[in-house]
Amino acid sequence: MKMIRAILRPETAESVAEALADAGFVSMTQIRVFGRGKQKGITVGTVRYEELPKTMILMVVEDKNVDDVVDLIKDRAFTGNFGDGKIFVGPVEEAYTVRTGAKGL
Amino acid sequence: MKEIIAIIRPKKVSPTRNALELIGFPSMTAIAVIGRGLQRGIAGEINIECPPELLVPNNKGGMRYIPKRLLSIVVQDSDVDKVVKTIIDVNQTAQIGDGKIFVCPLDNAVRVRTDETGESAVL
Repeated sequence: MKMIRAILRPETAESVAEALADAGFVSMTQIRVFGRGKQKGITVGTVRYEELPKTMILMVVEDKNVDDVVDLIKDRAFTGNFGDGKIFVGPVEEAYTVRTGAKGL
Repeated sequence: MKEIIAIIRPKKVSPTRNALELIGFPSMTAIAVIGRGLQRGIAGEINIECPPELLVPNNKGGMRYIPKRLLSIVVQDSDVDKVVKTIIDVNQTAQIGDGKIFVCPLDNAVRVRTDETGESAVL
């Protein structure tokens, strides 16, 4: 299993979530976060914004589905400007469902 | 060491905290998140007393997302099973929406105050 953390523009997160649900990846967690990237925030006029609001989508999928999910997120979150976000993929060793105590997704 | 990421009901946070404290794991991070599981959002999942006359007729639609708490707990490899079992025991309500637990490997940890790294930085 892999954990996918995608840090996206808040306005694209909903369309990403819809696309993932249509493709069968319904389970996900959304977290409102603040951050900045290589461009160190953004300057509008004379005001510098050091940290920008983003939405982090956190989901755990089977190894074989990682590419599908990443492609879907890339497709929907793309605007071509700085600040579209990042996707991180990390390992998950075990998953449990609390209600049943069963292992696995 | 391992990071245990548990996504649970908001009202179960303090029972979970107390239970973990009893077995010797007082440290944790809690984040307010929204999310959904395999069943998508279910309105009935949140237990709010609602008089029937206030309910909109024929409204079967659920919620898009359900508020949850994400707990992040870092423990030694040998303690993972104990902590996972405690979280499951405390959070089981037999209703859908009890949450998920993920166990992820971690490479290193640093205690900022003393600059300790590795195993001794956890607990």
